[in-house]
Amino acid sequence: MAARKKSRTVPHDDSDVALSTSAPFDQLYRDHVDVMYRFAYRLCGEAEAAKDLVQETFLNAYRAYDRFRGDAQISTWLYAIASHACQRMRRKRKGEPERELSLNEFVPTSEGEFALQIPMEGLSPQEALENKELRQILDRAIAKLPRKYRMVLVLRDMEGLSAKEVGGILGLNERAIKSRLHRARLFVRKELSGNGLAREFHQDVATGRR
Amino acid sequence: MADRVRTYPGTRKPTPHQGHGKRNCVKVLERLSAYLDDELSGVVCEEIRAHLGDCPNCEVFLDSLRQTVQLCRHRPSPPLSKDDRANLRRQILKAAATA
Repeated sequence: MAARKKSRTVPHDDSDVALSTSAPFDQLYRDHVDVMYRFAYRLCGEAEAAKDLVQETFLNAYRAYDRFRGDAQISTWLYAIASHACQRMRRKRKGEPERELSLNEFVPTSEGEFALQIPMEGLSPQEALENKELRQILDRAIAKLPRKYRMVLVLRDMEGLSAKEVGGILGLNERAIKSRLHRARLFVRKELSGNGLAREFHQDVATGRR
Repeated sequence: MADRVRTYPGTRKPTPHQGHGKRNCVKVLERLSAYLDDELSGVVCEEIRAHLGDCPNCEVFLDSLRQTVQLCRHRPSPPLSKDDRANLRRQILKAAATA
């Protein structure tokens, strides 16, 4: 643990901060800040909130660093801190409806709901994502997911962690993770289908966005 | 991701309500993520494949779910700028010192 021990005598003068902090924290920050920012951006959907979350994450990591036991990968530990910080920050802001997703709501009932409305045939995912409209619809769909489902989708499908790792981060068993992931994917799929786009169009008209 | 079923969207048009309210379709829908993630036993996979071969709607639905997952996996996010990286570090250390 000695190698991870850090100095807590950080000066209050901003100009001195960069010169006098401990090397272990700097290394932790340097090695992981880009990944944590990517994760935070995917969770929050915009830069300022993502930066707040990164700051909160590394501040908590700084304070808890001496208690890190090394029985998990340090990146997994940081994901867990960020996930908890995100939940706390959202609770403070209130207002976000946290609803359960039922499989029944994803059973298509009309022809336009089966396929995606922006065709991807013959395109790689990267090529398809060059379409700005598709990117915007995808981002909006992810942002509309209730938080606990979005967290799982981001960790599993966007950050590429295993169901076991995500379970460890969120304190849930693998079965619960897989159930949430499936509902989250079905939700996003529906938003990208004819039904989701039609609903979005009507909402845009109603709110004057179109 | 498993690529067990080759679909050819556009070559088979789904017909509305073709059995999609039926129990088998719902049962398949419940398992499609596990199917894509290769988490099911061979027997269950066979059952799903048999259903998909017989139900164009479910096949199109599976393809759209697979595409959705691929889009999520490949959606890039903007990088943190050098200035923001330095500013954030300074703010974290300042907050840690004053706490």
